[in-house]
Amino acid sequence: MKLFLQICLIASSVLLVLLVLLHRGRGGGLSSLFGGGMQSSLSGSTVVEKNLDRLTLFVAAIWVISAVGVGLLLKVS
Amino acid sequence: MLSAFRSALATPDLRRKILFTLGILVLFRLGQTLPSPGVSYRNVQECIRLIEGSANQSVYSLINLLSGGALLQLSVFALGIMPYITASIIVQLLTVVIPRFEQLKKEGQSGQNKLTQYTRYLTVALAVLQSTGVVALAVRGQLLRNCDTTTYPIVPDSSVFNLVVIVITMTAGTAIIMWFGELITERGIGNGMSLLMFTSIAARLVPEGGNILRTQGGLVFAVVCVFGLAIITSVIFMEQGQRRVPVQYAKRMIGRRMYGGTSTYLPLKVNQSGVIPVIFASSLLYLPQLISQLAASPTGEPSTWKRLVDTYLVDQSSWVHISLYFLLIIFFAYFYVAITFNPDERADEMKKFGGFIPGIRPGRPTSEYLGFVLNRLTLPGSLYLGIIAILPNFFLDMTGQGQNQNFPFGGTAVLIMVGVGLDTVKQIESQLMQRNYEGFLR
Repeated sequence: MKLFLQICLIASSVLLVLLVLLHRGRGGGLSSLFGGGMQSSLSGSTVVEKNLDRLTLFVAAIWVISAVGVGLLLKVS
Repeated sequence: MLSAFRSALATPDLRRKILFTLGILVLFRLGQTLPSPGVSYRNVQECIRLIEGSANQSVYSLINLLSGGALLQLSVFALGIMPYITASIIVQLLTVVIPRFEQLKKEGQSGQNKLTQYTRYLTVALAVLQSTGVVALAVRGQLLRNCDTTTYPIVPDSSVFNLVVIVITMTAGTAIIMWFGELITERGIGNGMSLLMFTSIAARLVPEGGNILRTQGGLVFAVVCVFGLAIITSVIFMEQGQRRVPVQYAKRMIGRRMYGGTSTYLPLKVNQSGVIPVIFASSLLYLPQLISQLAASPTGEPSTWKRLVDTYLVDQSSWVHISLYFLLIIFFAYFYVAITFNPDERADEMKKFGGFIPGIRPGRPTSEYLGFVLNRLTLPGSLYLGIIAILPNFFLDMTGQGQNQNFPFGGTAVLIMVGVGLDTVKQIESQLMQRNYEGFLR
């Protein structure tokens, strides 16, 4: 059970990293980090982004469940 | 003030944005308390209690403060946004060194997007590195110093597979934090990354304050609060300060319409670089300490070098540490302004759109003038940054405590919190203004 959850965790983690990297970056770097620039990106989110969001949320849910699961198993044992 | 808040919440669009931001911040805090799989929550809490009881502070005080206490708990979000900040600092510095990056930076929006993408890749790489380091330190019992790994094993089952699972989980956690920040920037209000940082620091505020109240009594606590308020006021005063260089635009006809002919100003902030110099300087000062700790032999005498580092750099009340920190902050303030604000470019842009500073010829004289003004302006700005940052070292020196930068009412923490708070309020206000409500700041 634990091994299964851990493998689940690894798979979802790797997927999650890839999915997040697929998103379009909106960070804007450091210059806007601390009250710097006032750039306004008005472009709305595309269909691709929307589906990507949904997929990321789904994988994140799996990730959280397996992380909590492994933690609970550790507590019980 | 309160009615402004009400009208902010009464606007459906703005309300959705604010609630979205708050929701993400709640998720972020929840993740910060969720322990990584394989880490024994009970043992970690026991160790943290031991550390907080003693005066001994860990190496990672500032980093721990920035991660909202999540680092020492080894939670899934243990690394916080530190990897992202480090990555953006590195990319920012590389724009000076690597010609290709410089070209990308000049390219405008598309080049900027590419740089952001590089930053994100670098963040993940750094997250892998840092989480490996943190996990290795935790297993060897060096993360939580005076805590015996045999009585309180932080990672009970330290097989390689288990450790790999923890490292990968932490890396994914960092990626999620990055995504959260971007979501806030995109759909919420304010800049996501800085809001996340704000949250982690604010989360430390209450426990640290409680710590002071418990260990030193009510009087000291009251004095500290008054000092904190005074510091916050002065920080707001300095952050808002700006020099307005007047710029006059020439009138011109395009088609049948008249454009330009307006006189505006070029705002130059007193503290153009924000808190970035402080973050640079402190991370640079932590380096020798980290190296000496990693290179330390488990038994045997500490080497001369380690002793030198310990007495002069680690000890936050030693004058060497304080003056070095101060000088580094001033240096980085100038350095960062030089990177981000290019007088030549500004002068060129102004010339292109038919603008000029009254009394000064466009082109080279303008850029020289801007450089001159900026250099003079940065001096008080950098001095102020340095003084605010080293303030806690001084007055904790007076009370005779071996405390440090961890102190949340002065120094770096206040600089970051006030900067982010002001920025966010300004953004909410500009949204309100669009709908013809009067804002918070008058």
